[in-house]
Amino acid sequence: MRKIILFFIAVSCQDVFSQELFVVTDPASNVPANSLAVNVMQSLFKEEMKSGYNYHFMPEVTYGLNKNIMFRASAFISNRSNQLVTEGGSFYTKYRFYSSDDLNSHFRMAAFGRYSFNNADIHQEQIEILGHNTGFEGGFVATKLIKKLAISSSISFEKAFDNKPDYPFPDNMGDNATNYTLSFGKLMYPKKYTSYKQTNINLMIEFVGQTINENGKSYVDVVPAIQFIFNSQARLDFAYRQELLSSMVRSAPNGFYFNLYYTFFNLKK
Amino acid sequence: MKKINKTYLIVASIVLMFSIKGNAQIVKAEIRATGLTCSMCSNAINKQLKTLPEVVNVETDLNTNTFTVTLTEGNNLSPKVFKEKVEKAGFFIGTLVITAKPETITKSPYILVNDIATNGTEIQFQVVDKGYVTEKEFKKLSKSYKNVETYAAINEDDFHIKILN
Repeated sequence: MRKIILFFIAVSCQDVFSQELFVVTDPASNVPANSLAVNVMQSLFKEEMKSGYNYHFMPEVTYGLNKNIMFRASAFISNRSNQLVTEGGSFYTKYRFYSSDDLNSHFRMAAFGRYSFNNADIHQEQIEILGHNTGFEGGFVATKLIKKLAISSSISFEKAFDNKPDYPFPDNMGDNATNYTLSFGKLMYPKKYTSYKQTNINLMIEFVGQTINENGKSYVDVVPAIQFIFNSQARLDFAYRQELLSSMVRSAPNGFYFNLYYTFFNLKK
Repeated sequence: MKKINKTYLIVASIVLMFSIKGNAQIVKAEIRATGLTCSMCSNAINKQLKTLPEVVNVETDLNTNTFTVTLTEGNNLSPKVFKEKVEKAGFFIGTLVITAKPETITKSPYILVNDIATNGTEIQFQVVDKGYVTEKEFKKLSKSYKNVETYAAINEDDFHIKILN
């Protein structure tokens, strides 16, 4: 696993390429200052241990405070208890601390942190503070854009706490993990721009992995996605997440994402 | 008597202020932004520029990320405002070419790095300071302008300009 991490770091340090509004990974770039982005994320994952699908509904608002700092608040709603229940929420912030831009290219680095709370039952070894565990995550992300290709890689530390009030974190499971991602995105259409009204199509592929620090149990998933951008303001993502390898218990590793995203530019003048 | 003098002074200074404004103004700014290729990113810059009340129109070439900004007559904008707006959108300026009344550059914040006689009704110049050119270009220019003492000082409130026409 250490080799894989080193590989990801090595790749992220190389001069590689950009369309970076990924489905799972947040890039090093921020939303524009004084703008509000609203995202409605839905996911439908097939349950491995029982029949049926696990549906998550996750509305988010993201605000750009200035050119380097953004904040995000999310709510987690799921059908795990057979009806739609709000299980928790999350606060996220990202600080861009390095930018090196050139014509049609950039390299950026950012630090991010997230705190989430959740009251659902803990039913898997995978630590996921986006909709499953109470806990925090902190890490770094680097993004390189060269013309139409974006490559982004992140590494983070994630720690889970008890899902209060009813579900303490099990003693027999590792409560902290290292997460790593590697994402590629490419602008496929248009070949040549004529106006802001043109629909853009991006293709993406992301690799998302986690290793539980205590016992080395890991997984790596692949997430291919297609993304449409309408009117240079709205975004629609379809993605599929597939487990590639795993040595840990996961309740629903494979499934679909469907995101709607809208940016309100310049809230106050 | 004193009162009249005061009023006269105020009126005179207002008239003077406006006449300076009228002569020393940026007519048009052509901004090439760096660090982006997507139209959503470009739109972020477009929307930022349009928040300026002095902006009449923004024309965008999405393939080169060039924004041609037409400004109202009598505006008092400095090149700094374009830098701030582009950076607020999350990007940087690659080149900034300004069209202005010739009187504009005779005033203090502007320092000429080349000498070209101009006799047109409008002049075009490029701002060559750090933050108004790409990082690579700035490194190159730092060598070329090593004799210009103020250039290396990177003072945010003066602008080194290269006359283009």
